[in-house]
Amino acid sequence: MSVLEIRSLNKVYVDDYTGEEVPAIGDVSFSVEQGEFVSILGPSGCGKTTVLNIIAGFIDPTGGEVLLNGEAISGPGPDRGVVFQSFALFPWKTVLGNLTFGLKMRRIPRREREEIAAEYLELVGLSGFERRYPHELSGGMQQRLGVARVLAIEPSVMLMDEPFASVDAQTRMKLQEDLTRIWQDRRPTIFFVTHDVDEAVFLSDRVIVLSQGPSRVREIVEVDIPRPRRWDELIEDPVFRRTSHRIIELLSAPADVEDRSDAATP
Amino acid sequence: MVQATTARPRTHVLSRLTSAAWFVFPFLVLLAVWVIVLDVFEIPERTFPAASSVWDAAVAMTLDGTLVAHLVASLQRVVVGVGLAIATGIPFGLLMGLNRAVATFFAPLLRFSVALAGIAWIPLATLWFGYGEGAVTFIIWNSVFFAVVYNTTLGVGQISEDLKRAAATLGSGRVRLLTEVLLPGALPSIVTGLRVGMGYGWRGLIAAEIIATNLGLGYALFLAQKYFETDVIILSMILIGLIWLLTDRLLLAPLERRTVRRWGMQQGVE
Amino acid sequence: MATDTVEERGSATVPWTRRTASALTRSKTVRTFGPFLPFVLLWWVVAETGMFPSAFFVGPDVVIAKFGELLRTGVLTGYLWDSTVRLAVGAAWGLAIGLPLGFLIALSHRARRFAWPLLLFFQAVGDIAWLPILIIWFGFSLTSVTFVIVYTVVFPLMVSIVAGIDAIPRDMLRAARTLGAGRRNILLEVVLPGSLPAIASGIRTGLGYGWRALIAAEIIVGTSGIGFMMFDARRAGQVTEVFVGMIILGVLWYLTDALLLSPMERETVERWGMVRKPGGPR
Ligand SMILES: Nc1ncnc2c1ncn2[C@@H]1O[C@H](COP(=O)(O)OP(=O)(O)OP(=O)(O)O)[C@@H](O)[C@H]1O
Ligand SMILES: [Mg+2]
Repeated sequence: MSVLEIRSLNKVYVDDYTGEEVPAIGDVSFSVEQGEFVSILGPSGCGKTTVLNIIAGFIDPTGGEVLLNGEAISGPGPDRGVVFQSFALFPWKTVLGNLTFGLKMRRIPRREREEIAAEYLELVGLSGFERRYPHELSGGMQQRLGVARVLAIEPSVMLMDEPFASVDAQTRMKLQEDLTRIWQDRRPTIFFVTHDVDEAVFLSDRVIVLSQGPSRVREIVEVDIPRPRRWDELIEDPVFRRTSHRIIELLSAPADVEDRSDAATP
Repeated sequence: MVQATTARPRTHVLSRLTSAAWFVFPFLVLLAVWVIVLDVFEIPERTFPAASSVWDAAVAMTLDGTLVAHLVASLQRVVVGVGLAIATGIPFGLLMGLNRAVATFFAPLLRFSVALAGIAWIPLATLWFGYGEGAVTFIIWNSVFFAVVYNTTLGVGQISEDLKRAAATLGSGRVRLLTEVLLPGALPSIVTGLRVGMGYGWRGLIAAEIIATNLGLGYALFLAQKYFETDVIILSMILIGLIWLLTDRLLLAPLERRTVRRWGMQQGVE
Repeated sequence: MATDTVEERGSATVPWTRRTASALTRSKTVRTFGPFLPFVLLWWVVAETGMFPSAFFVGPDVVIAKFGELLRTGVLTGYLWDSTVRLAVGAAWGLAIGLPLGFLIALSHRARRFAWPLLLFFQAVGDIAWLPILIIWFGFSLTSVTFVIVYTVVFPLMVSIVAGIDAIPRDMLRAARTLGAGRRNILLEVVLPGSLPAIASGIRTGLGYGWRALIAAEIIVGTSGIGFMMFDARRAGQVTEVFVGMIILGVLWYLTDALLLSPMERETVERWGMVRKPGGPR
């Protein structure tokens, strides 16, 4: 059984004020397996964030269903941890306070919380910063805290919406390498939204490519690149290049491209 | 955002109507509570007037012209006081924002004065200008002036150095810099200052009129209290509330929105 | 700014005048009171020239002498105490009423719909306009004065809380929910701390209005207090006491700000790096 299963998802926004209808998602189906890293990619405004928000339970779909471990979801919950583009750290809590927030909600005793926290701080390289407040960290460190905060509650699936979009290019590459390392180490199930083709290929096992909104799944591209992955090695890698190229083609060409059968999988 | 359908104007009007209804509804409830409570507890007119008495007072005072006289007197003072404050406050604020020396000299005094502005000046104002027009106008001027100066200075200070340099490289002289960059750049802050200052000014006006005049809404309150005319008191209070609400919502808030939001500048809105 | 870095560079090469100057600017007392010196000097000179008749305008020396006299006779301490207690009691009640009501209106959709228009209206009526009817109800008493102060504190506080809670980033609330926080925890751990900057600025605005209302009430209701002292002096044509009163009011506000409001904000909002609003004058 898949951890996450999306069936014929459909979303039409209704503008509260004008009553206007905005179709965002046409018909989207896919599934994510245990321990898999899946990215979703598509043109701007095609509904990627909408898909993630529906899975997270922040908004309701107009049609279709979301099954988590075979059961329909209702509202947000700790079984689906979210890493936000805006970090969404609590400024009034220290690094430790932010990291242990989810554990505290689960009524885990303080001592145990701090033991778990130490482990995850180590994992994301934030040991020694426990007492700092978020604004005293760099952007990259803040997002590492955002990732650790979710990892610590061990959700069934981790949802990430363009988590590295607001840090500088070099920090982003570092964060991407850190994320693959952590993923290999812990094997969380990750659903990752991005608009960056290289990022999607670098990180994922599979990349879901959406069409222009109201979106459908245009193709699901398998990324057959061995791990551990590092940028200095991959940048020249022919499989990496071919896969990226294939996705760029899918994104830029008119709808008939999806009928071509020479997929990137070699 | 996408295709504007024909359904749009109708729902638009409808939603405006419902929100207007929702705005009026609480006041109707309040009115009902007023009528019922007075009736059930048999509260004497001397303590709290019946809604009908307030209405009668409004009609009577409108007919004999006193209401208009009070209203006109108060509004006139506000217009003159605020006009003077804008005419003096903005140039002074710009000067402070531009000149370090002036700013350093006046800054502590300014902070002191902003904290005091308005009502605290009533004793001194009446001493200097005597009871009457001069003192009241001074109070309004003073409430608005300090708030406008303070916020203009703040606004000019927040204009980025790059913007000034950009204007300079595009060939603007000192005067042009003032009119094309500094004034519009500081405008959102100035409007905020105006809004806050007028809040103080309006209260100051009422207090000053109670203490120092023989015409105006504040004076009407004072006179009514002397003769226990609760109906006139409540009427004046309602008018005071209405006038300020209308000024703030129809004039100041839209002005602030138009400058602050339109230009996407962020500013504390109180 | 630029001069600072120059001074920092090896003190041996810097002339002693510069060094004392920079030592002076670092001293907290000098920084707080220093800026007032040139101004007091100017004030003194203007008064000495006799530009204005002494019935309208007096110099700092006269004011200080009067201040000493009022202190010795004990009038000032009594009035000061009265005013402070009134403001403190009014502010305490204002907080006790405004905080829960503000949160109720901010958090409950229904309460907000119903109360918001009323809130706007009653805020617009303004504290001072209530004085006449209050005098009819409660006479020239402490109740009337306290009522007015409570009124002034409550409304800006409620409006600020509503604005503050609305301004909490949506992602922050969503993050808390995906981390497993229920309604109670979202309120305690997110909404409450998240609205602190707004509460702080609401208290600031409220006290600013309350302060003015107190003075007006003391003038109009007039039995004791700094406002009463000033107006009483004005009736007797004693400009010196009016000056003393105004300076005391200014200093008191400075103290309230320095000892109460600023530390409160430093410990919370600024420490957490939450953006402080540029805000209006205090
Ligand atoms: N709350 C909303 N109300 C109305 N329309 C909305 C709302 N949120 C999103 N939309 C519309 O739905 C469509 C999909 O939006 P969404 O944010 O999911 O796109 P996206 O793929 O995440 O885009 P991006 O790559 O720019 O982040 C867009 O056309 C957008 O304008
Ligand atoms: Mg998006």
